[in-house]
Amino acid sequence: MNNKLGCLSPLALVSFFLAALALLVAEILNGNTMFSPGALHAAHVEIGDDCGQCHAPFWASERMTERCLVCHTEVQAELGDSSTLHGTLVKGANSTCQACHTEHAGPSAALTVMDTAAFPHEVTGFALAAHRTRSPGIPFTCNDCHTESISRFDAQTCAECHRTLDAAYMEEHQAAFGAECLACHDGVDRFSHFDHLQTGFALQGKHQNTACSACHQNAHALADFQGLAATCESCHLKDDAHEGRFGMSCGVCHSPEGWKPAQFDHNLAAFRLEGKHAAVACENCHQNGQYKGTPQDCYSCHKADDEHNGQYGTACETCHNPSGWENATFDHNLSRFPLTGAHVNVKCENCHQNRVFKGTPTECVACHREPEYHAGMFPGQACSQCHTTTAWRPAQYTGPHTFPMNHGQEGGRVNACADCHQPTLTTWTCYTCHDQAEITRKHTKEGIANFSDCLSCHPTGQEGEGGGDGDGGGGDD
Amino acid sequence: MLRGKELLLAFLACLVIAASYGGVLLFTQAVPAASGFYGHTIGILGFVLMLITETLYSLRKRSRSARWGRMVDWLQFHIFTGIVGPFMVFLHSSWKFNGLAGVTLLMTGVVVFSGFIGRYIYTRIPRTADGIEDPGLTAVMKASALANARRLMSLWHAVHIPLGMALFTAAFAHILGALYYATLLK
Repeated sequence: MNNKLGCLSPLALVSFFLAALALLVAEILNGNTMFSPGALHAAHVEIGDDCGQCHAPFWASERMTERCLVCHTEVQAELGDSSTLHGTLVKGANSTCQACHTEHAGPSAALTVMDTAAFPHEVTGFALAAHRTRSPGIPFTCNDCHTESISRFDAQTCAECHRTLDAAYMEEHQAAFGAECLACHDGVDRFSHFDHLQTGFALQGKHQNTACSACHQNAHALADFQGLAATCESCHLKDDAHEGRFGMSCGVCHSPEGWKPAQFDHNLAAFRLEGKHAAVACENCHQNGQYKGTPQDCYSCHKADDEHNGQYGTACETCHNPSGWENATFDHNLSRFPLTGAHVNVKCENCHQNRVFKGTPTECVACHREPEYHAGMFPGQACSQCHTTTAWRPAQYTGPHTFPMNHGQEGGRVNACADCHQPTLTTWTCYTCHDQAEITRKHTKEGIANFSDCLSCHPTGQEGEGGGDGDGGGGDD
Repeated sequence: MLRGKELLLAFLACLVIAASYGGVLLFTQAVPAASGFYGHTIGILGFVLMLITETLYSLRKRSRSARWGRMVDWLQFHIFTGIVGPFMVFLHSSWKFNGLAGVTLLMTGVVVFSGFIGRYIYTRIPRTADGIEDPGLTAVMKASALANARRLMSLWHAVHIPLGMALFTAAFAHILGALYYATLLK
């Protein structure tokens, strides 16, 4: 039996040498090509079979990446610049070119092997959360935004595309915030179809058409926008026509529909608007936009309306109420001249002529001329000695009277003056009660010729006075 | 090892390896690159299986002093590793067959194929469990058939071993090239 190892047999050794020779010949004829796993890209064709241009031997301190950068100086230049793709992507010294780039796949094969859809674009500072599809079903490609080079981005690209979406808005937006879109936008937040309600501050009324920058002035970062308080005064302090006099709760009266009309509930103020005050224009009382501190006394506004010309002071409310001047409820009894009896129903102007109220004399004669009935009979005597306000008659004369005033009456009653005195108090007659024809017949029968003056014989009207039979008075003169 | 079941076991082992390959394929959505972790691992393991068992088998076969294991078991182990190892090397190729690596893979295939033929010729000659021709059994064979079988076996050895030698020469050149130019592609 042959005890040599098989590999050391003559044939095996010949085979080894032949194989080694074949490798040597191949190396001489084709260089390192036999070690290549595939043809290089057309861009690398100059490298040929010089594997060492890219492949560092395992004992060398440098890596393949360093050898790539020997030629790719443009990438080397990007590495320190965070505005570039490689400057952003390559973090740390352990990054390698071959993590994304490949070779040996043929002259026209892609040199960059990465799933573009899965590319973590946010590491560049701009996430693609809102840029997944150009339109329903059509995804964005890298070239859509990186038109010239995948490693470059021109901010104008944003503006050009978004101008086609809303030209007017972009015009205003860029004027307000500038043209460097990426200075504010990081692609994470969705600003198109932005619902301001999400912030807790719904845009209503005029706020709907207000430019963002009108409130968010000089805001660029998200935090700048969020820093604006959702209060009226954070934007409208300068618009406050009340100059702070009403505090900062604008919403009590105003709404986003506009400053005017304001829905001010005056009844929340110290001065409630009642009656005719409710229909008065604000500026009638609040002149020059002055609201706070407006005096609440009537005279401040109604001085010109005072038809009493100040005679009654300034406490108008004593008589008047806001339902109208005419509806005054003057209590005349509070005056020096309480209205009693027939005075209650007398029209004011009967006494207060020419609307003069103050100083109206309280003497009866100021209004009541002495009647002819007793003209001049009671000089210096007050009417009230006989009369009451209930009526002129009956009057209550209690003064000296030669003839009993209770003549012909019973139970302490007295006769009315006019029972005897007709047509004035200076004249009198008995014939109101005593029939003149009967008196004449009786006195003629008695032979009394002159009986024209009854009192000469009947001074008190008593029975038996004057010799008569007392059947009714009369006298013999 | 189950005696006489080496082909079945090799087939099952290949199935398991193919399943793992399919798993990686499914998980990464890409053909495992020869230079990647998985591709390199199966390439190295496959080559080590090929190299070590072939060497050990050859040593055991020719050693006079060391008598570990019975020759029939060694042959079955040699056949098992001679199928599983090349299969792993085949998967290491990442379906690219150009250059030296392609040639090496081709030669691997040739050697494996020759191994199948050799096994067929080997069984023509009755042997003991130690791989030595069984005198009792060979005696009853027709002299011409035995002589043919012995001639074929000898011829086969003259082909199979030099083919293997050429294969390992190419394989080492491939490995050295890879080590030089692309050790873990640093």
